[in-house]
Amino acid sequence: MQMQQNMPTSTPSKRRVLGPCSHILAAAHTGSWRLERPSVDESLCIRCGTCARYCPTACITVSREGSPLSFDWTYCKGCGICANECPKKALKMIPEGSDD
Amino acid sequence: MPVKMFDGNGAAVEAIRLARPGVIAAYPITPQSSIAEHLADEVANGNIDAEYVRVESEHSAMSVSIGAQLTGVRVATATASVGLALMHEVCGVAAGCRVPIVMPVVNRSLVAPWSLWCDHSDTMAERDTGWLQFYCATVQEILDLTLCAYRISEHEEVLTPSMVCFDGFYLSHSMQRVDTPTDEEAWDFVKPYVRRNMYLDPQDVMFINDLCPTVEHTEMKYQQMMGFRRAAEVAKDVFAEYKQKFGRELHTVESYMLDDADVAVVTIGSMSGTGKYVVNQLREKGIKAGLLRICMFRPFPAEEVREALKNVKVIGVVDRSSGLGAAQGPVCSEVKAALYGAGVGKVFGFVGGIAGRDISDGSFRKIFGELLDVYEGKADDCNTWFDVRDDAMNIREVEMPC
Amino acid sequence: MQKIKFYGIGGQGAVTAAKILSIAVSVHQDEYAITVPAYGHERRGAPVFAHIIVDDKPVLLNCYVYEPDIVVVFDDKLIDMGVDVGEGCTPDTILVINTQSDEMIERYRSEYGFGTIYACDATGAAIANIGLSIPNSAMLGALAKTGVVSIEAVTAAVKESFGKVGEKNANAAEYAYEHTVKA
Repeated sequence: MQMQQNMPTSTPSKRRVLGPCSHILAAAHTGSWRLERPSVDESLCIRCGTCARYCPTACITVSREGSPLSFDWTYCKGCGICANECPKKALKMIPEGSDD
Repeated sequence: MPVKMFDGNGAAVEAIRLARPGVIAAYPITPQSSIAEHLADEVANGNIDAEYVRVESEHSAMSVSIGAQLTGVRVATATASVGLALMHEVCGVAAGCRVPIVMPVVNRSLVAPWSLWCDHSDTMAERDTGWLQFYCATVQEILDLTLCAYRISEHEEVLTPSMVCFDGFYLSHSMQRVDTPTDEEAWDFVKPYVRRNMYLDPQDVMFINDLCPTVEHTEMKYQQMMGFRRAAEVAKDVFAEYKQKFGRELHTVESYMLDDADVAVVTIGSMSGTGKYVVNQLREKGIKAGLLRICMFRPFPAEEVREALKNVKVIGVVDRSSGLGAAQGPVCSEVKAALYGAGVGKVFGFVGGIAGRDISDGSFRKIFGELLDVYEGKADDCNTWFDVRDDAMNIREVEMPC
Repeated sequence: MQKIKFYGIGGQGAVTAAKILSIAVSVHQDEYAITVPAYGHERRGAPVFAHIIVDDKPVLLNCYVYEPDIVVVFDDKLIDMGVDVGEGCTPDTILVINTQSDEMIERYRSEYGFGTIYACDATGAAIANIGLSIPNSAMLGALAKTGVVSIEAVTAAVKESFGKVGEKNANAAEYAYEHTVKA
């Protein structure tokens, strides 16, 4: 049986719930699954946004100025679809923890 | 209490209206269609203040119902036959997620052969999905049991959905007088819906029906079993309260002339009145006949069945579904299991009334005739299938060019 | 207890008539009735049946009528459509028939052996009062002649069942009641 907090989440009391549900959504932070992460070669990137459209967790933001791509590392699970879809081969997957 | 005229579907709609649902998602199917239609009328006319979701299938109807009720409103849906079969997967979700939906089911045969007519093969196929099941004998009982089902299902220690089952056409399209509580009386009994378990709320996110690991799954089934165990007790309390408020007695099982009975039938659904009529006829001839009606099939009231039948010498259990391949029809299997080890008389299963075939007073006279033959030692077995045509194995012929 | 069987043709309102009879008996006569409609593959023009049991105490039976006390025939053509309206009947069974032909009445009498026949041109009554050839309200008026239900109960039930055209249908029932003859 999963224990969960009563609503709202800040209330410290716990309440019994029957059946399958969870309130602590740690597993939803898919960034913790990552073994590889995407790395962008800014000289090749044309800011077309293909990677952002294909990203299954919608964690890529494309900027018009400055650094072209930013990633939400809480949710990027390192699947590599962005690198696969990039028309300019500007993205590549590198081991998690390594430098660019 | 005002007397109104309803057919069975009308009584189900009236009970739903009295329970004030906030969301309705129903898909029409014969013989349930007029429930889906009249619920839409009631919403359009402002008699029910609800959102009517026009879903594209029964699978969606139950899915919408579950999602909606988890937000904290009572929902309404209804189905029959293959519609219920299409719902099967999601019925398990409602039960496992402890969403206490109350759903009228109009009994109609499952395919094949295609049929529009009554038998219990549809709801009997759902008997182990984790829903409470009530079987009505009259149109009055459809209203009464539906109102009670809300109270039983929504009880915080039960939290288990209910099917209120009634026979297609025999009840769904039979016009009968119904004592109907006023809106206030009914609301005072049913009470507003309160969410007592998990919920959907965008302000307070919860993940419902996640992949449950083996180390917890058995425990969740155990929780459901405990819900059923409590339902048996809660049902009796709710029926007692209903009787006190509205004067009508409801049962988990109903005994009729069983105290001194030598032979008895066990019935379920609309056939029961006809069975009682034949019991009266036999009693006039001095034959000690009786009847036991199963009103609540899930949880199965095994102890009450045992107690009611303990002194009967020969018992016939009438199933309105074929129970293909099973040792007995589903009702008979339950009754036999309940009686095992109790040292009671002989029990025989009967199967008939399939896909709208009438179970008439004549059918019951035949069944009692066979039981009496056993009782008097003239026979030691009964024919399981009754009212079957003699040419059963040769009813259609086709010329085929080899 | 009176067991009644309705025979009609899809579109004539026989099933509706059975429901209205149930209302007339249960609400306006304070007795009990149960209808068991026998739905088939519904379509206009096909034979339809309805079964009604009326009693002064609650009706236990919930099955079809096999030995009717009263048979109500909504269309005299049924005799030529392969429908046996005499099924389960005895000479005591009363026939109520929608016809304007003495010849038809004699055919029903000789073919099925009905002892008592009430005849009424219910279709004519419907056309005269409602402007439609749907004889169901008128047939209930004719049925009231047998005494199983009062004409007052029939007109009250018809009025509340048909809404805007309730008055006209009640008139049709009344008219038919007055013009039903014991043949």
